[in-house]
Amino acid sequence: MLDVLIFAVLPYFAIALAIFVTPYRYFSNRLDWSTFSTQFLERRSLYWGSIPWHYGVVLILAGHIIGFLFPSTIQSLLSDLSALIALESIALGLGLMTLFGSIILLVRRFSGVVRAVTSYADWVLLLLILLQAATGVYMGLFVRWGMEWYLHTAVPWLYSLLTLNPQIGFVSGLPLVFKLHVAGAFLILAVLPFTKLVHFLFLPLDYLKDPPILYRWVRREKQLGK
Amino acid sequence: MDVRAQLVMVFNLDKCLGCHTCSIACKNIWSDRRGAEYMWWNNVETKPGAGYPKFWEDQRKYKGGWVLKGNYVKLRAFGKFSTLLNIFYQPYMPKLEDYYHPWTYDYANLYNAPEADDQPVAEPVSLISGEKIDIEFGPNWDDDLSGSPLYAENDVNLDERRIISSFGKLFMFYLPRICNHCLNPACVAACPQRAIYKRGEDGIVLVDQNTCRGWRFCVSACPYKKVYYNWNTGKSEKCIFCYPRTETAQANACAHSCVGRIRYVGVILYDADRLDVALKVRDEELVEAQRRIILDPKDEMIRRAAKENGVPDSWLDAAIKSPAYALIREFEVALPLHPEFRTMPMTFYVPPLSPVLATQRIAYDVEDHEAIPDMEHLRVPVRYLSKLFSAGNEDVVVDALQKLIALRAYMRAKNLGESPDEQILRKASLDTGATERLYRLFTVASYHERYTIPSLHREYLDVAPSDERRGGRGFGIIAKPRGGL
Repeated sequence: MLDVLIFAVLPYFAIALAIFVTPYRYFSNRLDWSTFSTQFLERRSLYWGSIPWHYGVVLILAGHIIGFLFPSTIQSLLSDLSALIALESIALGLGLMTLFGSIILLVRRFSGVVRAVTSYADWVLLLLILLQAATGVYMGLFVRWGMEWYLHTAVPWLYSLLTLNPQIGFVSGLPLVFKLHVAGAFLILAVLPFTKLVHFLFLPLDYLKDPPILYRWVRREKQLGK
Repeated sequence: MDVRAQLVMVFNLDKCLGCHTCSIACKNIWSDRRGAEYMWWNNVETKPGAGYPKFWEDQRKYKGGWVLKGNYVKLRAFGKFSTLLNIFYQPYMPKLEDYYHPWTYDYANLYNAPEADDQPVAEPVSLISGEKIDIEFGPNWDDDLSGSPLYAENDVNLDERRIISSFGKLFMFYLPRICNHCLNPACVAACPQRAIYKRGEDGIVLVDQNTCRGWRFCVSACPYKKVYYNWNTGKSEKCIFCYPRTETAQANACAHSCVGRIRYVGVILYDADRLDVALKVRDEELVEAQRRIILDPKDEMIRRAAKENGVPDSWLDAAIKSPAYALIREFEVALPLHPEFRTMPMTFYVPPLSPVLATQRIAYDVEDHEAIPDMEHLRVPVRYLSKLFSAGNEDVVVDALQKLIALRAYMRAKNLGESPDEQILRKASLDTGATERLYRLFTVASYHERYTIPSLHREYLDVAPSDERRGGRGFGIIAKPRGGL
């Protein structure tokens, strides 16, 4: 029952929320679509929280996505034991960075000014990312060679989700910590449109290609019927 | 030639009395909101002094503005890719304490305190957290403290820190500052979200509150520290040049309320094609290069080019009447603030003469020749002014000051019924006609001579853009920011 909830119901629920509510929020009111950075108010501990967390999570997430997109390539890469050990070690290091960062990010929220600007959504989000980092690191340490078994369990299950034919058999035998990790992942996706996490939907293509100074013409835009 | 129009403000520092009426007018209209309490889009600081935020001019600390590297003008702090790499934490961003921690007082305690032997007091409480705080710094904390070893002595424009402790040489003046609405705004270039833009019609630089995501690179990149981060809305805000007022041909709130009548607002025309060249000259040539791209609005060819570019006739007429053009380009007495930041700022300052003399002994010397002092006897050192207004080029400042001195000498003689010496004027490259005009601008010019702001003519546009804002509440914030759930 719990397996069905975690591996079939929650994913679709979360994806539906992310797909439908995020654009709604984007088009209805973007005035609170922000990073809500607190660096301005408190920077010393943010440095130790934000940098390890962001760099850790960006690379870890990229690893998950690459494994999902190119399972056979990664499989052949991992068949070399030394490559597996090297990659697992790197991933564990990044995971520890993420865990360290998320602990700092949560703890710093308890103090004075930062607490005052912390919303319920921020608390939920910070707890979720801490849980996610903790379960991830735990698996890296005690449920060994996750890179290897991820390709044969979670990846086929994720593909089965995509084809609207969830095969929870791929993952139902895995330990509880994995289930928590999956539940955490989809909970984060579910709360995405309701929290400041939307700030990660950011593609700076214009920034990279535009000339440095941006002009807007009130008259010209109106004349062009924009 | 790409002729564009720009609204420009000029400040006559000789007349600024440091009353902060401008700051209050601005705050009451624009920044009296949660998250904006600490912001002073218009502020007046004492020079020499720390400024607001503290030591904003020190780019070794804040890394704002542009630098010339070979044939390229680059943002001092980051290129495009390093911007993205530093997006999770900004090393050079000012913190709240560099401005000040906003506070109020616990007034309720005055009424609610239990009966006791002592008078109840209203203790200061943080406007952010509501907790009791010790006030250690506040807005204009160093107002008038130009001799302070704590603040003024650390002014980065001071070559000689000792000048502060030498009582006879002590000097000060006020420096009112708004956003400079630069021609080459560093904040615009630094925004990875492309939320900041310069309006083509009037050159006003604005932050699109719908697009801003609070990456805060603008706050770091602006060398004048005139973009502020609102910790409540999670977005950046800045001086909007009172565009809802200027669009309808009214003067900006700060200018309108100026008690000393030190401000002038008008249109200038400039050549956007030559901007690039003007930005790539040596520091000492920057003021001159900036003047050269400002175009003569009476020139027929320029008027035609401007019209082709969509500048309306009313704007061209306003450019002819513009006090800004007269002070900046025609008489060359108004200078940009810190041109070496290479943002090409569009507010200009007439450097201060007063207090004219340093010591009384010099006054006796001076009375022998026209009661007007020599340049080296001026109380405010030319060197200091040149660091502020001409990237260290003293000649530019001396030229401007000489005109101001000649103007005084000439008008003094005239008012005393003596025969004024036109030789003084010629030496300062002025003539009687120009002198009379300058005199009028600096003294009795009416409201409409000081503020020649043409309307944006929104009435001719297809859609009145105010439609979308109708029913909104002030500064674009039509819903209370929730920050999530």
